[in-house]
Amino acid sequence: MSVTLEGFRPSSYLTSETARLQETVGNGKAIAAVSGGVDSTVAALVAKRALGERLLPVFIDTGFLRAGEPENVKARLGDPSLGLKVKLVKAGGRFLEATKGEAMAEEKRKKFRETFYQVLGEEARKDGCDFVVQGTIAPDWIETQGGIKTQHNILEQVGIDSLSKYGFRVVEPMSELYKDQVRVLGRHLDLPKDMSERQPFPGPGLLVRCIGTVSKKKLDLLKSSTMIVEEKLGPFNYDQYFAGVIENKFAKEPVYKNLDETAAGALGLPSSETRVDVFEDRVTGVKGDTRSYGRLAGIRIQEDSRETYGWLPEKLRLAQSSIVEKFVEVTRVAVLVKEKRGGPSLSVVVRAVSTRDFMTAAVAQVPWKILKDIAESILKTGDSSRVYYDITPKPPATIEFE
Amino acid sequence: MPPSTPLEKFEAMKADALVMGGGPQSVRSLAALSDELRDASNLMTKIKLPMLCICVTHQLMATTFGGTTNLARKPEFGPVEVSVSDEDTILAGLKPSFTAWESHNDEIVAAPPRFKVLASSDNCTVQAMRHEKMNLFGVQFHPEVYHTLKGADVFKNFLKVVDDYKRS
Repeated sequence: MSVTLEGFRPSSYLTSETARLQETVGNGKAIAAVSGGVDSTVAALVAKRALGERLLPVFIDTGFLRAGEPENVKARLGDPSLGLKVKLVKAGGRFLEATKGEAMAEEKRKKFRETFYQVLGEEARKDGCDFVVQGTIAPDWIETQGGIKTQHNILEQVGIDSLSKYGFRVVEPMSELYKDQVRVLGRHLDLPKDMSERQPFPGPGLLVRCIGTVSKKKLDLLKSSTMIVEEKLGPFNYDQYFAGVIENKFAKEPVYKNLDETAAGALGLPSSETRVDVFEDRVTGVKGDTRSYGRLAGIRIQEDSRETYGWLPEKLRLAQSSIVEKFVEVTRVAVLVKEKRGGPSLSVVVRAVSTRDFMTAAVAQVPWKILKDIAESILKTGDSSRVYYDITPKPPATIEFE
Repeated sequence: MPPSTPLEKFEAMKADALVMGGGPQSVRSLAALSDELRDASNLMTKIKLPMLCICVTHQLMATTFGGTTNLARKPEFGPVEVSVSDEDTILAGLKPSFTAWESHNDEIVAAPPRFKVLASSDNCTVQAMRHEKMNLFGVQFHPEVYHTLKGADVFKNFLKVVDDYKRS
């Protein structure tokens, strides 16, 4: 059992948060920013208990969502058992425009945040709401304040005054909770299991899985790959699993030449049988509690030995840790599953982890057969030339790519 | 609670023990500590309650009591096998080794005098240590994270120390 679950009493938590919400909001109205994820859904349910019809759930379609998601979420939350009548706001064009041409992860996240709250502010004004209830949880502000990464739902904790900037006050009924506690609270509120155990999806969505600059081509590949990964890995019950997309542009620094040898040494292969490519676009990691915006190294094992190593997670783990220890700039290591010569110059990186509270994560031991199967399906669409599997725990990587 | 908390406040709270966590700072020199870490260092030298320090505060314990902390020759991130050389108190029942999660760029390169080293890993020689007489304990790994599956045992063992202290 996780340390955070001991001593957590959902009923008393609910009583005190309901009272606090009623006191804060008074006779006013509040928007609940919902995404369909467990955090914002539970926050909205808590707020609904406290405010009843004075709570207006709003879903912003950012354009960085999975295929069919806005409509599915609206229908699901509107189910009489949950009773959250969601207003759908389409703003995909604005988000794409705001993030266009930006390659730096933190800038992308901040631009997303800015657009997100501008849209919410407009909705709040239209509906006469002075408050916005959101599902911020402890890891969100811990990682934002710690400078690991800017979560889009953190304002006051980093000194942004939402009232003067966007015209509303933020209420966060779960800001001290961790994911596992939120799920317990959700179950206590009779949230159906498929919702309380729902696969997490980051606020900025596919934006942070489109590594580097966003383009329609990358986003389309990401949407189709996400569908394939979710379908094939869904039955395994990993805590989190998804795909990322990165351009096949590689860093040329001479120091990276030594990577081939490091990887080969750890794998026990002659260095002629391994090659390590270091991608130019950066990915987010965390080394020694500090943000490390570093490189992704892709190990390519010669095809006839690749499958053997695919079944040797301990060897791959050793290769990963040897690389990350030796090369300060590298925060993430992935292993090539399959490639298609001459395809478009884009790679898909598949990630699957086991994690309880999203503070640490272990690489999931996805059977190589399944990874090969995923890679074949992705390459078949003809929109990419390589498929990798991310073999980095958190730390030194984070769960998401950016 | 911040490490600037006066000792009297811990007494007034009837605290039984103190645990200090980690952070991103470097504590290689006492002269260059931030205010927060200087307070933490002072607290260690004054407190009588049993104390468990994790990661950076484990390193701070070394720096404070005359040991040396420096850049790790090989840093550790994620799962690491920790070999127990002395089960002593906090590592009771954890021989010969267990998997712990780590995240550090610095490490203790020389344990302070009168401290004994209880465990080490391939990359890091002082994974756990304690003072020979006082109830001061330090661990480089993170017993508080879910993926350190034996982490709860370390805390349970520490609580036994706390019970003994309260009885004495």
